[in-house]
Amino acid sequence: MVLLSILKKLRRKEKEMRLLLVGLDNAGKSTILSRINGEEIDSVAPTLGFNIKTFNYADYVLNVWDVGGQKSLRSYWRNYFEATEAIIWVVDSVDKMRLGECRAELQDLLKEERLMGSSLLVFANKQDIVGACSLHEIRTILELDSIHKHHWTVMPCSALTGQNLLEGIDWLVNDVAQRLFDPD
Amino acid sequence: MTSTLISSNANSKKSSSNNTTMNGDSNESPLTEEELKKKETPITVSDVLRLRKSTNSYLIETDENAYKINFVHFRIRDMNTNKILFEVERDSDDDEFNDDVDSSAGRFVQYNFPASFLKLEQVGASVEFTVGDREVKSFRMIERHYFRDQLVKSFDFDFGFCPPNTRNCIEHIYDMPEFDSKQIKEMIEHPNETKSDSFYFVDNQLIMHKKAAYSFDLGRSQ
Repeated sequence: MVLLSILKKLRRKEKEMRLLLVGLDNAGKSTILSRINGEEIDSVAPTLGFNIKTFNYADYVLNVWDVGGQKSLRSYWRNYFEATEAIIWVVDSVDKMRLGECRAELQDLLKEERLMGSSLLVFANKQDIVGACSLHEIRTILELDSIHKHHWTVMPCSALTGQNLLEGIDWLVNDVAQRLFDPD
Repeated sequence: MTSTLISSNANSKKSSSNNTTMNGDSNESPLTEEELKKKETPITVSDVLRLRKSTNSYLIETDENAYKINFVHFRIRDMNTNKILFEVERDSDDDEFNDDVDSSAGRFVQYNFPASFLKLEQVGASVEFTVGDREVKSFRMIERHYFRDQLVKSFDFDFGFCPPNTRNCIEHIYDMPEFDSKQIKEMIEHPNETKSDSFYFVDNQLIMHKKAAYSFDLGRSQ
């Protein structure tokens, strides 16, 4: 366990966390990231590549990787799994037609060996829109209760109003911190 | 509402970012710009980390590269007010910048900020770049800011993989270094002695080198 303790020490000094923000296209990933960081959100365009923000959050430096969710870009997600401590999976709660596709992509993602042990936050986005699926529906359709290999939680949120965005990040950062940075 | 959710919640205690340092971040022996220019093999990350001051000229002749990595958008904003302090956009379809009369156009930026810039608490610096039809396996950026050859801020970001034909963005949101009033006075009185070098590497080989100089103007209000 010597190696591990060295790793932990290095990590503790840097206090850096890498978060991967993924989900189907048009789920609101970039809007969430912009909203958190105080940018105007009315001009967010589809992400045709990646969009990274590094910022201080409490005692940590978060590196959030928002990678485009279009089909043609999904095959590139795997290039960003290395050293990822947490996943934010964003769901368009209004796009009921694609919840099946959303579940399949999430399940594929969670099979990834390099993501084993990473914490998972599922954001049921667009809750400000009338007709959005409830948290319960999202949880059921995405079969979240079958996830046993990851610490996970699901939260309703709205990138538009800011609802739960910080609460979600807070949960994730605390969950990762408890695993990586806690004094042994 | 454009206020930043994070700053309203984040711990007010200033935390030093991992990619920030006031000292050199290499323990290796220093290298000079002249020595690097004589180097026959490609310039690497560890080479530039051994530099102890800003460069006088470019370490690489041209920024044109096989990957067609082009910088298309720069922006600096004040995180407390979301006010944009600097922004420039270039046409991504243009391989050559429209104004490139000489080879250094597009490689050098002259910033002129009101002196109040130096007292900002937190800024966000974003750059956007496009990638041509070749994928980039390992892309890394190192940026070093100096005042009179003293390092005041440095960034080291490893993008890793960049997919072909994409437009990508990174925004570093960071606490400004704290300058005392004497330093601020000196920086105002000596325009363009605050400088930065930005080095970009693919597979640990220098492919682009950009520079900037900064002046701070007391007369301009924000």
